[in-house]
Amino acid sequence: MSHLALARVGFAHPKAPGTSGAGRAILDQADLDVPRGAFVLLTGPSGAGKSTLLRLFCRLEEPQTGQVLLDGQDVAALAPAQLRRRVSYLQQTPTVIPGSVRANLLLPFSFKAAHGQTPPDDTALATLLDSLAAGDIPLSQEASTLSVGQRQRLCLARALLTRPEVLLLDEPTSALDPESAQAVLRAAESFCLDQGGTVILVSHAEFAPARVTPAPYVLCGGTLCRAGAA
Amino acid sequence: MTAGVLDISLWRLCLALVFSLLAGGCSLALKLGLGRDIAIGTVRTFAQLFLMGWVLGLVFAVDSPWLVLALFLVMAGAAAHTARGRIHEKAVGFAWPMYASMACVYLVVTITVTGAIVHAEPWWKPQYFLPIGGMVLGNSMNSVAVALDRLFSDLRARAAVVEMQLCLGADAAEASADVVRTAIRAGMIPSINSMMAVGLVSIPGMMTGQILGGSDPSQAIRYQIVVMLMIVGATALGSTVLTLVIRRRCFAPGDRPLLR
Repeated sequence: MSHLALARVGFAHPKAPGTSGAGRAILDQADLDVPRGAFVLLTGPSGAGKSTLLRLFCRLEEPQTGQVLLDGQDVAALAPAQLRRRVSYLQQTPTVIPGSVRANLLLPFSFKAAHGQTPPDDTALATLLDSLAAGDIPLSQEASTLSVGQRQRLCLARALLTRPEVLLLDEPTSALDPESAQAVLRAAESFCLDQGGTVILVSHAEFAPARVTPAPYVLCGGTLCRAGAA
Repeated sequence: MTAGVLDISLWRLCLALVFSLLAGGCSLALKLGLGRDIAIGTVRTFAQLFLMGWVLGLVFAVDSPWLVLALFLVMAGAAAHTARGRIHEKAVGFAWPMYASMACVYLVVTITVTGAIVHAEPWWKPQYFLPIGGMVLGNSMNSVAVALDRLFSDLRARAAVVEMQLCLGADAAEASADVVRTAIRAGMIPSINSMMAVGLVSIPGMMTGQILGGSDPSQAIRYQIVVMLMIVGATALGSTVLTLVIRRRCFAPGDRPLLR
């Protein structure tokens, strides 16, 4: 059974208020099957709707037709907070709240959906940051003073702390230097290979993972197809 | 209450037009372009207040609770309509929840003041209920407009933070808690500030009216204190209830933000 799937999904952005005609079409009758533990690399021209596709999986967008499925169940039937703990979407622009790095990392544990979960201690947080080549960032540092690249790694660490089944990564290395980008990609690979998680990664950049062979897909003109397929 | 009031005859009332003419003269001399607005404002002041005087006279004469409540609801509708007009958000429909919430909240506040504090007999006695209700509505209308405008603008400005928290498992209420807090605070601050200045900068309207009407200043200040506290309570309750009710409409099913 697929872990994540699209079944005849159609999606168009709503038209702006006061304008006539249909909204911009992103997906037209799209199908996709992503097995558990797969590593999908999604490419396509700017504006094709790659980010929108990721947002459909965590129900930040709603398809006009068809179904988005997680473990065979329509995501619309799942409680939104629980769905988003299972399917973690990392925004293209890394976003932090005012406060320390520690406060940002522990943010997911302040929500009702995390009731009963024990927040990790400082040692665990530092180890996680270290695995993302961000071990030099003090936990007490104000998060708003971090560089974009450091914020990106902080956001990935925060997403991993929620122990998701699926990671949706939207251009996660676009603001990183090559060394930091490799650290992020290694973390995504490890999530996939060592923890059995599913990864969908959107990237414009040339991407050469060391340990996994990604399933390449291209989104263009509302059609989602396997790269290299006829 | 009116025994101590000096009557203003119609021709002396017209004499007050001198002030409008003065304002119009300034506009003409300095080319301010306000002549038309001053003229319309003057006519509307006369027309609206004469109409209100006639309606209040009618309501006082009929002395029916249903008529008093109906008039209060019309006033609440007008207040909500005015507040609605100051907010330019098109993506979220909020007119009817706003009207209903304002009418309910301010009805409760007005009944509490007339029934429990002023001890009007009966609680809907129009001479008390309508002026007090009018003050509650007039002052709270501004706070509601400020709070909702802030809610909508902050949900757009901080859309990335709201969305980030949703992605980490927050529900809509948790993800927008900071925005809601800021909006309610913005709605409440003007009425709290006015408590700080009352009696120092000017003699407030209700107290002025009572003193002109011959009331003992010691009673007039008690009424004014009730009015000030009532307005703070009404703006707090109104801003909170309306912000929370309308916040729910800013998210589609599935906790999807509509403003971004």
